Amino acid sequence: MDSRGGKVQRRLSDLKPGEGGKIVRITGPPSLRRRLLDMGLVKGAYIEVVRKAPLGDPMEFLVKGYNLSLRKEECDNVYVST
Amino acid sequence: MAIRVALIGNPNVGKSLIFNNLTGGKAHVGNWPGKTVERKEGRCVYEGVEMEIIDLPGVYSLTANSIDELIARDYIVEEKPDVVVDIVDASNLERNLYLTLQLIELEANLVVALNKMDIARDMGYEIDVKALSEILGLPVVPTVATTKQGMDELKKAIIKAAQQRGRRRIRHISYGKDLEAIISTIEEILKKDRVLSSRYPTRWLAIKVLEGDEEVLRRIDRSPVKAELMEVLG
Repeated sequence: MDSRGGKVQRRLSDLKPGEGGKIVRITGPPSLRRRLLDMGLVKGAYIEVVRKAPLGDPMEFLVKGYNLSLRKEECDNVYVST
Repeated sequence: MAIRVALIGNPNVGKSLIFNNLTGGKAHVGNWPGKTVERKEGRCVYEGVEMEIIDLPGVYSLTANSIDELIARDYIVEEKPDVVVDIVDASNLERNLYLTLQLIELEANLVVALNKMDIARDMGYEIDVKALSEILGLPVVPTVATTKQGMDELKKAIIKAAQQRGRRRIRHISYGKDLEAIISTIEEILKKDRVLSSRYPTRWLAIKVLEGDEEVLRRIDRSPVKAELMEVLG
């Protein structure tokens, strides 16, 4: 958990199935950020966890009306406000 | 001469199904030179007009991120097909139109196939095809690939687009005052490089330079205008 600007931000990888939030920040190397943006993970978009593999990798999400699977290292770089 | 048509779209939009519908399932399958990515080509004859259809890899965008994206992008930029058919999932418009906008930026001669219209309808979406076509400045053909609906209309649109090639006005999206100013500055510099500007759309190059696209930067590295560009970019 991380709080910036007074709001609680959580990493996608820390969410449980059924939980969701608005994307507030994407970190990591430019190429990863670019790829996540390409996949529709833009600031302000609502994203929800559909299910999680046994060790939390990969995770499946619902974003902008479609399902998306992400690896843990990708989830670690996306912050949402819940 | 046959019209060269490239099919492009996100993964899982029904691209292969449309390819099969257009070519009757007869395809020449090979590889992209030096890469383990499948390359499928087929033929289609409609009302006496011959079309050579090439199936590009399914991609979400056209950055230089993955081999698939690079193949698709290089084919459109280097081979300059007569028509590019962008297959869009109507049940997932927002996500899919991102690629469409990138193709507009690449100044491809586009026809949009709005596929999965049945699923979109089942989901309760009502898509104003005419309005979409006007906003994008492109022909938009609604299709249902699974039942072969809209295939004749698509072929007609392809033939028409091929005839109008180069005469259509491209509707660029604006990135706002600040970015547009720097984009046109870079564009003006790039235009001085005759080789580069005759091969690639300068606006697209300028945007890619700002994005820090590795492939494009590599090409500019050899350009005589590199020093001038570096001055602007700092």
